[in-house]
Amino acid sequence: MKQYVLQRFLQMIVILFGTSFIIFFLFAILPGDFIDSNISLTPQRAQELKSLYGLDQPILHRYLNWLGNALHGDFGYSLKHQEKVLSLLNKYVWNSFFVAIFALILTWSIALLTGVLSAIKQYSWFDGAVTFLVFAAMSFPSFFISLLFIKWFGVDLQILPIGGMIETGSENTGVSYLLEVGKHMILPVTILTLLSVGSLTRYFRTGMLEVIRLDYIRTARAKGLKERVVIFKHALKNAILPAITLLAFELPGLFSGAIIMEQIFNWPGVGRIQLESVSFRDYPVLMAFTMFLSCLTIIGNFLADVTYAAVDPRIRLR
Amino acid sequence: MKKSFKSFISIIFLAMILSACALDSSSSKQSAVPEKKVNTPAKDRGVKVFKAANLSALPEKAKSRKDLFIAGISAPGGVFLPYFYENGWDGNATDPIFAPLVNLDKEGKPVGILADKWNISSDQLTYTFHLRNGVTFSDGSPVTADDVAFTLTLLHDPAYEGYQDISLAAIQGGKEYKEGKAKTIEGIKVKNKQTIEITTTEVNAKALLLLGGQVLSKAYYGKDYEYGKLDYLKDLYSKPLGAGPYKFIKYVPGQEIRYEANEHYYAGKPKTKNLIFKVIDTSTSLQLFETGELDYASFSADDDTVGQLQSLGFANVRVGPVNDFGLIYVNNSRPQFKDKKVRQALIYGLDRQKIVDVKFKSYGEVANIPVSKVSWAYNDKGINKYEFNAGKAKELLDQAGWKAGKDGIREKDGKPFVIHYLTRTAEDPIIPIAKENYEDIGIKFEPEIMDFNALVAKLNKKDYDFASVSTSQILDPSDPVEEFATGNPNNAAGYSNPKVDELIKKGLNTLDIEKRKEIYHELYKELNEDPPVILVHYRQSARAISGQIKGLIPDNYTGIGASLPNISIKK
Repeated sequence: MKQYVLQRFLQMIVILFGTSFIIFFLFAILPGDFIDSNISLTPQRAQELKSLYGLDQPILHRYLNWLGNALHGDFGYSLKHQEKVLSLLNKYVWNSFFVAIFALILTWSIALLTGVLSAIKQYSWFDGAVTFLVFAAMSFPSFFISLLFIKWFGVDLQILPIGGMIETGSENTGVSYLLEVGKHMILPVTILTLLSVGSLTRYFRTGMLEVIRLDYIRTARAKGLKERVVIFKHALKNAILPAITLLAFELPGLFSGAIIMEQIFNWPGVGRIQLESVSFRDYPVLMAFTMFLSCLTIIGNFLADVTYAAVDPRIRLR
Repeated sequence: MKKSFKSFISIIFLAMILSACALDSSSSKQSAVPEKKVNTPAKDRGVKVFKAANLSALPEKAKSRKDLFIAGISAPGGVFLPYFYENGWDGNATDPIFAPLVNLDKEGKPVGILADKWNISSDQLTYTFHLRNGVTFSDGSPVTADDVAFTLTLLHDPAYEGYQDISLAAIQGGKEYKEGKAKTIEGIKVKNKQTIEITTTEVNAKALLLLGGQVLSKAYYGKDYEYGKLDYLKDLYSKPLGAGPYKFIKYVPGQEIRYEANEHYYAGKPKTKNLIFKVIDTSTSLQLFETGELDYASFSADDDTVGQLQSLGFANVRVGPVNDFGLIYVNNSRPQFKDKKVRQALIYGLDRQKIVDVKFKSYGEVANIPVSKVSWAYNDKGINKYEFNAGKAKELLDQAGWKAGKDGIREKDGKPFVIHYLTRTAEDPIIPIAKENYEDIGIKFEPEIMDFNALVAKLNKKDYDFASVSTSQILDPSDPVEEFATGNPNNAAGYSNPKVDELIKKGLNTLDIEKRKEIYHELYKELNEDPPVILVHYRQSARAISGQIKGLIPDNYTGIGASLPNISIKK
């Protein structure tokens, strides 16, 4: 096990270098750079600016430069925000994180419950209704359902705010601040949950269905255990095992921001920063953030492998 | 000049993507209406005002605000320093804090703000600005000629990497200073505390605004200044200090910017104590206005939006032209577009009225002059309207030697006529309409969708046939046309016409607006006859002002900026 962890760890470092290289080159060969989007500049001025920003150097040179700085923990200045990349991301990433974590908890709880229930009552009216509802929620385009909820709860009923994270001009601190943010979070969290609960419910349902057909469940029933014990003690454990992989994949998702939702609800999240950095070719932000997400993905995978081995005795790591 | 910057081409379609908001950044202040509030329809240049019919419908939220005005802003970035921000919205956010020497009034003509008056020498090369008596920054320190000199010097620093290209003003000795050959800029002379004289080496009608921009305090921004080192300013981006009507209080990232009235403002403390620019998204700004979260919002005008705004009852709605236009670049440097008959045929053969109708649902107009209808230079006398006429287009193409080949596509020298069209959104109505129209006259039309930077990069490299864009806010009539001059480095159309070259030069070579009007009229007639591009549309905006707000008259050059000191709330 120890050896396995070490080996995987070394692999991770190699993968990260490879990723950074590929990402940097892919971004660099996108046509147009940060200066190009301002067509009012005279070519001389544009040339001056490019050399001030170092955009006129060969790609490999720029990459090594970036890498050298990044290894020292310096991810540079955002071209567009004129601010250190890390402090910029730090400002926004937590806003995205809090929405995502609440949505994640809600999604998993609801999906687990409905998935298991509809599996043990397969083809019942409950199963049918759940299937219908989760597919409906999943198929709504997110901007449509967001706008619909804004109209219902924000404009018609006026019980929830239309957008933002705080009331305009609010000076609240402490608990009242948290309550205020919480109120603004209701709609975004609800919508994110609605959109993602569907696939997960189906996943749990299928997992459960597979497990309850296995022999050991029949054995458990045969020895006279109560149905509740059979399902929740014996079947559930095995049914949710594959979900560990899924949960690990959620790790980058917690920090990546939900672009459409954040835009419609004016949520000051990192999704917006990310999208802007692509369209403005703000390389430092783009690189730092994409690398951050790649790290999380790779770490998430690693954790999944390790925990999997820990909880499933059938898997042995060497 | 701040408004014209990164927002440069706000793409023809206001796509739902965020970047579009940012690119279109100037539009919040550019869109709208150039005149007095009501009762002057004759001067209105097409502005329609719908008065609030039912003030009792005011939402509680709006009613409860007695000393706070809230306007929307799209995506500020938090760099609150003129000349240094890289995001057009930050320009809007800094406007209340920093006052310029000279600004444009609602007609687009210069008006003194911190400068009481200015004189221009008879050779039109030397500008003397006289500051108002007793103007101060918001901390109470006086605004002096030294501050103006400092601001202009800073822009000449070799480390300056912002959007302002001060070299266009051609200040004497500016180049030497930038290259490190001189310690000071020769052409900038501080006469006394209130007078500064600036000598330029070229007559340029646009120099006045470049020289008379927003003033930075030397004591505040210049105390650590060393030649070639500007990084220290980064610490001050979030702590602005200026001489504008409002002073900065707080920026809540991604949420709002808070201001408070500046008691030292030269024209008196603004009537409304608090101001907030709230970050909004275009998809919900109507809902925010409807529920009273915003006192002011600007929308792209169409039947639905205008109808909805009117039905609210509590809003004063002003629908009027926007200070920009939409166009299709034509690559004149490619052989098939060299002949002016071909370019004329391509305009005749395109049903632009239909495009405008689809896009703006009765709130747009076909453009035939490369300046917006709000400009003082707009004059359509003697301008050919190029009304849709496929027969005429075919005739012109025949004359130009493009004969119908096999499968109906015209050919010349064995090459078929194919137009490759770049646009930014698949919803662009030009795609289906042009495809149908051009196929009808024997031209193959192939659209391609790409993102903004890629499109601009292709445009600059002249690697395109047709490219669809829209101009940014037009501050000076020269802005949209000067690139058509032969050899102009930004001549993305690859156009060349000696008469046009001369008129463009003449248009900048005098500061007399009456003379410039005539020159531009000549120029427009020539550009109409020998078109460099296909002009497509003029659009309109609907600006909604909550009924309890008085004294807010948005205009086409400063947006709500000029009205800020006068806004009051009916109690």
